[in-house]
Amino acid sequence: MQSNKNKNRTMITASLLTIAMAASSYSIAADDLPLAGKTVGVTVIGTDHDWDLKAYQGQVDELKALGAEVIALDAGRNDQTQISQIQTLIAQRPDAIIEQLGNLKVLNPWLKRIKQAGIPLFTVDTATPHAINNTTSNNYNIGAELALQMVQDMDAKGKVVMFNGFASVPVCKIRLDQVRYVFESYPDIEIIDPELRDVIPNTVQQAYSDMTDMLTKYGPDSGLKSVVACWDVPMIGATQAIEAAGRTDVKTYGVDGSPEYVEMVKDPDSQAGAVVVQQAYEIGKQAAQNVATYLNGGKVPSFTMVPAVLVNKNSEL
Amino acid sequence: MKLQLFKSDMNSNGYTLQKMAIRLGAFAAFLGIMVFFAVTARGFTTSYNILNIIEQSTILGFLAFGITVVFIGTGTDVQKGGIDLSIAANAGLCAAVYAVLLERGYGDSLAIPAAIATGLCVGFLNGFAVVTLRIMPLLSTLAVMNIAAGLELAVTQNTVIGAASPLLDTLAFGKFLGISALAWCLIIGAALMVAIVHYSPVGLRLYSVGGNVEAAKSVGIYAGRYVYGSYLFSGFAAGAASILIVARLSASTPGTGLLLLPVLAAALLGAVFSRRFVPTIGGTLLAVLFIGALSNGFQLLGISSYWVSGVQGALILVVVAVTSFAKKS
Repeated sequence: MQSNKNKNRTMITASLLTIAMAASSYSIAADDLPLAGKTVGVTVIGTDHDWDLKAYQGQVDELKALGAEVIALDAGRNDQTQISQIQTLIAQRPDAIIEQLGNLKVLNPWLKRIKQAGIPLFTVDTATPHAINNTTSNNYNIGAELALQMVQDMDAKGKVVMFNGFASVPVCKIRLDQVRYVFESYPDIEIIDPELRDVIPNTVQQAYSDMTDMLTKYGPDSGLKSVVACWDVPMIGATQAIEAAGRTDVKTYGVDGSPEYVEMVKDPDSQAGAVVVQQAYEIGKQAAQNVATYLNGGKVPSFTMVPAVLVNKNSEL
Repeated sequence: MKLQLFKSDMNSNGYTLQKMAIRLGAFAAFLGIMVFFAVTARGFTTSYNILNIIEQSTILGFLAFGITVVFIGTGTDVQKGGIDLSIAANAGLCAAVYAVLLERGYGDSLAIPAAIATGLCVGFLNGFAVVTLRIMPLLSTLAVMNIAAGLELAVTQNTVIGAASPLLDTLAFGKFLGISALAWCLIIGAALMVAIVHYSPVGLRLYSVGGNVEAAKSVGIYAGRYVYGSYLFSGFAAGAASILIVARLSASTPGTGLLLLPVLAAALLGAVFSRRFVPTIGGTLLAVLFIGALSNGFQLLGISSYWVSGVQGALILVVVAVTSFAKKS
């Protein structure tokens, strides 16, 4: 019964995705190279994770396919570098800039400068008032769906370890806030205080060692049942730690759809519980298409959401 | 006797010629790369972009001045001389202290002295390890680098700490005569440094300690104090740079320690631009602008920022090899 329900949900989401993609492709099909003669700058905080790289490639590939000259800059996970890159991009005066992820506290004053320089700004996974459009997943739904799956797996009671190192990254904040909101309705679920900090770099190793410490502190009779983070790379380390400790009472939950973690979720013997898989490449493509629509005089909504799919042990992939 | 004199003249001429060739080579490489960027990179020569390069080089400049003073006071010999590997991590720690204090509601009047004091404490620790405990500078400052990096993580919990104050706003977005506040900081900072290091008795004594410590001691200079002083200054430079870092990023963020490579590259490369291959403020400033222009040109050409690190590493290798080769000959 449960399996069918999930299967249906996956199928509905997949159909919606197909329709959305078909519609967006159609909207720009009128002109073969709508961005011919245009220069578009792309600045991303990093491409060292699967999601980042796919979304970045989606933008660059699609912009080129639409005829644009692309100035693509990867900041190598360094805020200073990204700021310098944004400043340099402004100096080059491209026809539009797409910015992907990063720390909002650092970025916002600089995104404002892009707007002040009169360059249309588009973002990927970064909600900011300075952008014309933000292309992203529905992170509110992602958080809620993941939390509901956890509630179900935990029988609505038990302790949760939360990795929360990236509260300054808007999508992370939204997802984990939603998880907390869902838990409010289930008073027997408790998030362990203090929350843990996931880090970049050394994400997997650090999560492994932090999780090992938590498992020592919270033994099999402690009621610890779940581990969650706003993405899935730390969950790879956490799952490995749980399995190394021989524990079968604790499951992990993440977001993004990194291939290694999806494999773990699909493995019936793994302690990886569920992951919300995002369409990173499609998100990047969609952002590029929004630029094309806007630069050709079309109307672009303030956000475009590309559907994501929850994958659990019962999903058929 | 005559013959010997002639021979020594020949040697000294050859020596000078070789040095001059290396120095001119460095200038030629600098100019060549600038011309290459001017021709190939869109927007490189616009006044807006040139001001960007200066602004982007300010933080690097402050840190490179700190390490240059350590080089001046302790000699540039890579093995026997001094070095401050902790300077970038120290700046990260100072930025963390500064941002946390601002976030907790303390104003600039407390947060700035606290950031500078933090930098000075780390500088003192370096001086203590190198001068008092006589630990090799490469190792002692490496250890202090880890202490500073660890403390930064402890203070920030490895998170981004947002910071705002009127001073930070002015530094980040202020302009005077069309030049941004950060660029002014570099211009004024460099002028002050030149005055202190090259035209004051303290600066000249520092050069004598770094040039030949025994000779300096024999004329009554307390060499240890100057070495201590150079590490303290390096700590001060980290503290001052931290305020500029927080201004530029509107926050303290993890990753400031990564500045060590470009800072070292700038300070070492600076010596090549000077006549006698000694570290000078002017040389360091030129090297800082060179590295800034290199990063900027790479960005304009759309070359991955990862290559910039590679080029900086290669620069360090080439500069150290060339200067030690020139000194030996």
